[in-house]
Amino acid sequence: MLSSDEIKQRIEAAIPGAEAEVEDYTGGSDHFRATVTAEAFEGLSRVQQHRLVYGVLEGEIGGAIHALALKTRTPSKINTP
Amino acid sequence: MSSSQFEPIPMMSDAPAPAPAAAPQEQASPIRDAIQEAISSHEVILFMKGTPEAPACGFSARTVAMLQELEVPFAAVDILPDPRIRQELSAISNWPTIPQLFHHGELIGGCDIVTEMYESGELAETLR
Repeated sequence: MLSSDEIKQRIEAAIPGAEAEVEDYTGGSDHFRATVTAEAFEGLSRVQQHRLVYGVLEGEIGGAIHALALKTRTPSKINTP
Repeated sequence: MSSSQFEPIPMMSDAPAPAPAAAPQEQASPIRDAIQEAISSHEVILFMKGTPEAPACGFSARTVAMLQELEVPFAAVDILPDPRIRQELSAISNWPTIPQLFHHGELIGGCDIVTEMYESGELAETLR
């Protein structure tokens, strides 16, 4: 089982400069919501940005993590939709 | 919503696998070939859990609802009948989760990306 803190730490450790907000939205330690802001996403498509995050959690998605609702942002785009 | 808005594609077939080639470099995978073919031959195709009429997962249901709201015709594949469909799909797309929406052979994304694009109006622009 993973906690939202562990997921946050893993993402932030693996993606340089990333800031992650992770929420366990059912309280069951298996459905999470994450918003990740990182300079490293600059110039990448949304699909590529999400792949980076999924890559960090490889093997956990579909396993310990049943669902991860993900939003990715670059620091310059935090305030744009 | 009329049922002509989507076209369910059966992925399962009882057809036997083709005989192995003399020097098989890669194992033949009829399911992978069928998925590739489905992706390349449909303008908009959604791989989901369940069917558009009876989605088996909230994320799939939401994605279907957005496509229907935009009145985008789409093909749909239920990945649940055989676990190999999901395995092969994720291997092809390099994407671990379901649903997966493809447009002109390109992965648009899963429910989160489709939702963001729906809300920004980008989805309607891309798919029209």
